[in-house]
Amino acid sequence: MSNDLEAFALKSTLIEVKNACPDVSHAFIFKDDDTILATTEETNEETAAQAAKALNAMSKRANTIGGLESATFYSTNNRMNIFHVNDYYLAVVGSGEADEKNSADLTRILIPTVLRLTEKISDFSREENLVEKPRVPEVSTSTVEESSTDLAAEELTVEEQVELDEPRSLLPEPPVTQFMVENVNGLYKFSDKFSDTIRIDSGVIQQWKDLYGEREITEVELETLNGQTTRCKFKPIKDSKHDGKGTIQIPQRIQQTLQTSKGELITVKPVIE
Amino acid sequence: MSRKRIARSTTTTVMIDGAPVTITLDEDPAFAGLRSSLIEINKTPGVKGYILKNTTTAVINLQNPTKLVEYALLSSETMDACQKTSELFNLSMTKTVVEGTEIKMLSMIIGENKLSIFMEKTVDHTDIFRRISP
Repeated sequence: MSNDLEAFALKSTLIEVKNACPDVSHAFIFKDDDTILATTEETNEETAAQAAKALNAMSKRANTIGGLESATFYSTNNRMNIFHVNDYYLAVVGSGEADEKNSADLTRILIPTVLRLTEKISDFSREENLVEKPRVPEVSTSTVEESSTDLAAEELTVEEQVELDEPRSLLPEPPVTQFMVENVNGLYKFSDKFSDTIRIDSGVIQQWKDLYGEREITEVELETLNGQTTRCKFKPIKDSKHDGKGTIQIPQRIQQTLQTSKGELITVKPVIE
Repeated sequence: MSRKRIARSTTTTVMIDGAPVTITLDEDPAFAGLRSSLIEINKTPGVKGYILKNTTTAVINLQNPTKLVEYALLSSETMDACQKTSELFNLSMTKTVVEGTEIKMLSMIIGENKLSIFMEKTVDHTDIFRRISP
C-alpha cells in the first residue's frame, strides 16, 4: 500500500507544481538507483529514465562538494532544475527564468511535506500490522488466566487490555491534499440538494479508504491559504475529464463561505471521528 | 600582406593519483581569452579555482590540488549530464550551476571550450557568468 500511496502522493505533487508554475513542460521524480517514481503526463518514462541515469552519475561525483543539493541547467530560453530531497530527486524542465524562484520555493516546501506524510503513513501501517497480528492470541490467553479466579491474574488481564486498546486509538493523521478550486459542473450546480457537497478526485477518496479501512468518512475539512475553514460532505468527481486533474469542484455557496474562487488553491483533509 | 596567427605553446605539470601528468597548452585566441578571464575571476574572494579545457588543451588551477581528480570528474559528469538532458528534452543547454552543501560549481560550454569554476556558496555566480560571457 505504501508504494502505491507514495506514487500517488508524488504524482499529485507534480500536478500541483505544474498547476502553480504553468511554464513547467516536464517534471519527474527519481531515486538514486535510477528508479522513476512519478512523471507528469507529458513526460515519457523512458526519456525520464535516461535523464535520471545521467543526473545520478553527476550526483555521485558531487560528493566532493558536500553532496548534491540542487543543479540548474540553462539554455537561452529554457532551464532544467534538479532538487535533491532526502533520497529523492525532482527534475523540472521549464521555459524562461521568471518563475524559477517560485518553482524552487514550491518544490522545497511541497516535496519534503509529501515525503514526510507518506513516510508517516507507511510507518503507521507497519506499526498497525505489528500490533494487530498478536492481538487475538493475547486476548484469548488473558481470558484463560481470568478463569483461574486468581486476583493477581485478574489485575494483569485488566492491564493488558488497557495496553491493547491504546493502539486502536492511534489513527494516522488525516492526509492533507491540495487542490485547485473549480466550479461545480453540470446539473449539480442548479441543485440545492448538493449545495453543501464538494466533489473531489475518486483516487483521493480511495486513498482515504485504504488508510482508514472500514471507518466511515462522511465529511471533509476545507482550508484556504488565508486560513478560512469549513466542513462539508463530499462525493467523487463523476466526469472522467475532470477526475485525477488535481481540481476540486466546490458549489458557489461554499466558495463564498471560504472567500475563495475558481483557480485558487485549497487544502482538503478527511474528518476522522 | 596577411598576418600569420601563431599559437602559443606551453606545458604544465600536474599530479594525478600521485603521478605527474604533463598537459600541453596550445592556446587558440578564444581559449586564451577565457583563460585570462578565469585568472581574474580566480582572484575573487570565495572562488576556489577553475578547470578549462578543449579537445587538445587543459588548464587547471585549484587552491586545493588534492581535489583535482574529484573536481575534474564532477566537471566531466556534469557536462555529460548537461548534453544528455539537452538531447532528451531538446533544449541546447550550455550553462550549469551545481550546488553542493559546501561548494558550488559553475560549468559552461563555449564553442569547443568547457570550463568549470568552483566557489563558496556565498559567491554571486550570476556575476561570474556575466564576467565570463558578457
